[in-house]
Amino acid sequence: MNFSIMFDKEKCKGCTNCMKRCPTQAIRIKEGKAYIDSKRCIHCGECVKICPHEAYSAQSVESHKEKNYKCKIAIPSTTIYGQFPKGTEICKVQNAILKLGFDYVYDESWASELVSKAIKRRIEEKQGFKPLISTNCPSTVRLIKIRYPSLMEHLISLEAPMEIASKLARVRAKEIFNLEDKDIGVFYISPCPAKLLSVTDPIGPKKSCIDWVVPLNTIYGDLYREVKRENDTCYSNPSLKGIRWAVSGGQSKSADLINYIAVNGMENIINIFDEIENGKLSDVDFVETLACVGGCVGGTFNIENPFIASNSINDIIYNTNEDALSNEDLDKFEELYENGVFDLTVTEDKENKDKISIKEAVRRFEKIKEIVALLPGLDCGSCGAPTCFAHAEDIYENQSKLYDCVVLRAKSKDNL
Amino acid sequence: MVMDSLIKRYSYTITRNDFVTAGKSSSDIKGNLKAIGIDAKTIRKIAIISYEAEMNIVIHSMGGKLHCDIYEEKIVIVCEDEGPGIPDIDKAMTEGFSTAPENVRELGFGAGMGLPNIKRYSDEFKISSSDNGTIIVVTVLI
Repeated sequence: MNFSIMFDKEKCKGCTNCMKRCPTQAIRIKEGKAYIDSKRCIHCGECVKICPHEAYSAQSVESHKEKNYKCKIAIPSTTIYGQFPKGTEICKVQNAILKLGFDYVYDESWASELVSKAIKRRIEEKQGFKPLISTNCPSTVRLIKIRYPSLMEHLISLEAPMEIASKLARVRAKEIFNLEDKDIGVFYISPCPAKLLSVTDPIGPKKSCIDWVVPLNTIYGDLYREVKRENDTCYSNPSLKGIRWAVSGGQSKSADLINYIAVNGMENIINIFDEIENGKLSDVDFVETLACVGGCVGGTFNIENPFIASNSINDIIYNTNEDALSNEDLDKFEELYENGVFDLTVTEDKENKDKISIKEAVRRFEKIKEIVALLPGLDCGSCGAPTCFAHAEDIYENQSKLYDCVVLRAKSKDNL
Repeated sequence: MVMDSLIKRYSYTITRNDFVTAGKSSSDIKGNLKAIGIDAKTIRKIAIISYEAEMNIVIHSMGGKLHCDIYEEKIVIVCEDEGPGIPDIDKAMTEGFSTAPENVRELGFGAGMGLPNIKRYSDEFKISSSDNGTIIVVTVLI
């Protein structure tokens, strides 16, 4: 089971909201209930956000407290810093995480700052090839694999900060606690289901270095209480460059890029990918794409409204004393980059489509278009498919019937 | 030869100076090829070629037609317009050379990369031009 989104059939009313919202058309409604085609799902969480009946939820994760490791490391997502009221002493956040039952905290932002440097370096190395597309958001990478395979070569192919953080955290914890790898458990505190899934089902062939994922919202209550406790000690600060990654445009700003485009929200990303496919944007260095509106702060596991969270993060960036910062691993950049620690391999999805001749494929397409011509073109979704075209495809594949279309059914009744 | 026979032709009429619907035809071609299941690399090339060809008709011609011919082993884009023709084809094939008027450039078009780009992404490129119009036949092998 490597599906990060749980679906409660009882709660589903078959209302079609999720189906219409799904960017890869992975959802159909059959006999009044939604079905997700796991092969097409990119785990963006749009269905979780839109469902009015709360039929979708994040995978239930066993509590970190029940896991047995000699050392439990927590890696909080950069978005965590946007979840508290403005003015909260953010140096307390890591300490509060420790109190929830962790032995060591490694801030994702420290790794984000390192990956920003890698982005800058990679762009310099590939000057002849533009634009490069970010690989931090697993949903957008999966979208490229499923809908835009021709853009695969544009991927900047750098590991996400959460992965870099987990590697560096292990190294540090081994030194500090004098432990072996197997005694250490790495827990990522995640802002979204897509990152949760990138651990169990990575986008590349490499295995994730993270052992467990804790959805941010499941620990927020306890965390908030700890952060608000007075007279608490400070642990250490996040990287101010690194926490920019929580907000759309932050990767580029943190890497000191000028010629970049930051796109967020699935619809906008689809439009931009279409443009790149048409050969446009070949004069732009970097296209930063994040599936959620506003960037990672828009992920479904966050508590705060994404725009308020962005504002809080800005506040931290401008009002935190830089002297208090600690990012000891920053000096290791050259060594890490040379050793390929940042390199991500994204494998192409081999679709198990039966190989048919182009003649046969054209015939199929023309046949489907004939069916489309019979349908009303409302894309209302009442038949259980997101568009009339998708319905026609389903009819062609014998997955659905022409008279599942409510408009056609109503018309045929009128004629009786 | 049987393998060489045309399977399907999709044709579009392109209107001069119509920047509102410009890009629709090439986008439709791309959609069709995706739905048919043509491989991504070929689609990418055809998308660029047909988009540039369509914009050329909109910007430089009196109007014309864009065809996408599908064969078992290749896709051919045929672009024919109603004039006024290209006086110096060699010059038009030079990167950065543009005869697009200022108002078109203000829209972000007419950078002088149209024909060079079409040729760059093609496996075979034929162009002929007279006062009566220009015909471009571009082949991409699958």
